[in-house]
Amino acid sequence: MARLIVMGGGVSGHTAATFARKWLGDEHEVVVVTPNSQWNWIPSNIWVGVGQLAKEDVVFSLAPVYEKAGIDFKQAKAVSIHPHGNKESDKEYITIEYTGQDKEGQTEVIEYDYLINATGPKLNFDATPGLGNGKGHLGEHTVSVCTADHAVHASLELNQIFEKAKKGERQKILVGTGHGMCTCQGAAFEYIFNIEHEANKAGVRDMLDIKWISNESFMGDFGMGGLHMKVGGYVVSSKLFAESLFAERDVPWIIGAHVNKVEAGKVSYELLDGTMGEEEFDFAMLIPPFAGVGLKAYDKEGADITSNIFAPNGFMKVDAKYDAGAYENWKASDWPRTYQNPDHSNMFACGIAFAPPHLISKPASSVNGTPINPTPPRTGMPAGIIGKAVAHSVCDLINKGKEAHLHEASMAEMGAACVASAGKGLTSGTAAAMTVYPVVPDFEKYPGTGRDTDYTFGEIGLAGHWIKHILHHMFIYKAKLKPGWTLIPE
Amino acid sequence: MIQTLKYYPDTSINVNAGPVRDFKESYLLIYEDIVDTMKEKELTALSAIQIGHLYQLMVIKEDKEYVAYANPRIITQKNIFDSTEICSYFHNHPITVKRYQTLSIIYEDEHGNMQTKKVDNKEEASTFQRMIDYLFNTTLIDRLPLHQKEQAARAMAGKGDMPILEENAFCPPESKKVYFVSVADKLLFFMLVSLFLPLFNISKETLSSWFTYDKVAFPMVIALMVGFFIFANYEAKKFKQCTSCQVGNNIGVVLKRVIFALVCIVSAYFIVNPN
Repeated sequence: MARLIVMGGGVSGHTAATFARKWLGDEHEVVVVTPNSQWNWIPSNIWVGVGQLAKEDVVFSLAPVYEKAGIDFKQAKAVSIHPHGNKESDKEYITIEYTGQDKEGQTEVIEYDYLINATGPKLNFDATPGLGNGKGHLGEHTVSVCTADHAVHASLELNQIFEKAKKGERQKILVGTGHGMCTCQGAAFEYIFNIEHEANKAGVRDMLDIKWISNESFMGDFGMGGLHMKVGGYVVSSKLFAESLFAERDVPWIIGAHVNKVEAGKVSYELLDGTMGEEEFDFAMLIPPFAGVGLKAYDKEGADITSNIFAPNGFMKVDAKYDAGAYENWKASDWPRTYQNPDHSNMFACGIAFAPPHLISKPASSVNGTPINPTPPRTGMPAGIIGKAVAHSVCDLINKGKEAHLHEASMAEMGAACVASAGKGLTSGTAAAMTVYPVVPDFEKYPGTGRDTDYTFGEIGLAGHWIKHILHHMFIYKAKLKPGWTLIPE
Repeated sequence: MIQTLKYYPDTSINVNAGPVRDFKESYLLIYEDIVDTMKEKELTALSAIQIGHLYQLMVIKEDKEYVAYANPRIITQKNIFDSTEICSYFHNHPITVKRYQTLSIIYEDEHGNMQTKKVDNKEEASTFQRMIDYLFNTTLIDRLPLHQKEQAARAMAGKGDMPILEENAFCPPESKKVYFVSVADKLLFFMLVSLFLPLFNISKETLSSWFTYDKVAFPMVIALMVGFFIFANYEAKKFKQCTSCQVGNNIGVVLKRVIFALVCIVSAYFIVNPN
């Protein structure tokens, strides 16, 4: 019997665990270790954040789903990895600390034969002074939609802003990225337009000054270097599309910005051109940067080998080329294919948990030397696809032996689709549906743009909203492992 | 080497240019191609994509120097104005678009070093914005409202004049098409109310009057929705970008009310109709 441990129960980890359970026979064991009791369809958090959905609409309890599937669920956070065992035994193991199941605070050692690291990110609020509370959590000055609970809080705060606006008090809203090295601009993009949409519905739009702040060097970068959009039958760049979208909704923007301080009602920022600025707000939703969750690794003697297994940002090293050097040397082939740790063949990482070799967007620093650029998005569709590929590899290693061929899912050969909501409503909703191929530009295969321009485009409209809504129900259905779940793509 | 300039309607420039990644031989070759072509065609500015190189590189003639701007980005922009511009791609037809006079630009120089540039001059600012637009798959015509794009295309074909810039390039915060919806919704509301009247002790004559109202309101709702759809599509053409003007949105608005009206009239036939 082999035991697979999946650390993390988000999009990638849940996908890996459930497919592994399906593909492995009953004689093998699948264990999921995740600190959360609930699975969260994160893309719909933005609708919770504007009060259009309840928290219960975007989460469900993992325990009954895993029990039905035959997965051993441990509501705990992974603390350390011991890939060489310890002095007493060569058997690999991890240590965990329970966060639920009536065992809060208890620790446990679990041995493994294969390990998948899908912990997702730490929401690194404290990277920006004032954005966090100094203890690693969201601070008191801003809101977030990164978790369902954050989104509920954001909705309540936003409601108060709307109430003040109804009373005739002019309100300033600021939405965007809370640090120069953030990813997930798309979530902030969705949130700002959903706020604008709801403000119109509530009749308070004229009392709100809504502003966008982002680390993108141009509007419409989306952390991917931009793409084409089809609007009204014309093909336009995502830059023009985004600028027009913001202009038509009277939302001014600040771009190329590194938010370096958050205070009550005020953010301070540095721009790529080196200038400093401040922006006041009554309500701000700023996405934090991501970091690894802080897992430690130890060798047999108990010596810290964290830096061997994890990159400095805390994400796990996999089969990527981490020494590519300067931007001009970056290649699509630098990106990992199998997500196997180079030193430990029974250890994999997927989703946000793997360490990317470098950025996707062109790196940029302000004239003062502050790095300001979007970091590589590894959420959503790529996270699911990679999770499934890793699960396939592990299952083959278990079922066919250690010489089994590993499955590949390079982001440089993978397309991705993204649907960004710009307002919810059966007939008044809008969303931008985008596809990129490949996710990571391949400048050798596609000189100049790095992407296949036939498959890299977007379109905005009501149909996009309907797709987003269908995806919401479809992916929650799939995650609950309802009949036919395997037929739904990642 | 002098390269062939792209001219309208060549759509091969409708693509996002990729970033300049190295500043060695290939960069120098592209730079020389641009400068040679500029000299031959007596141009003051040219982007790489206008001669078929898919890179974010543009050259502007400043005094007698040909200055290269690689991977340029406009970080801040202020003071909007109407700019009438001519460009080789559009065979030097003047086209008027909105531009910003005051810009803060970042770019990389010929060594790949980050530089900044402040511009506060209408002509220079227009040139920078036009060239950067080319690098991001945007031509002068792309900055026109939708219906003016068609007019501009006709003008380029020698049929008519170039369009004059309108103030309302974007979707209006309050559209007149909502009046159609508002009236239809009120009619529908009373159609819905009529369905509950038989629950009360109301005379046959009164019910007959309400049923007459239903019979009149139904075609009025249909007519209003037809009017809405036609007007909404007409209005959409006025604006350069208007997400709320998407035909899908309009279809949704119409379908919802037509279905509701149908349900009401059929229900009224069985519930309100006293005969």
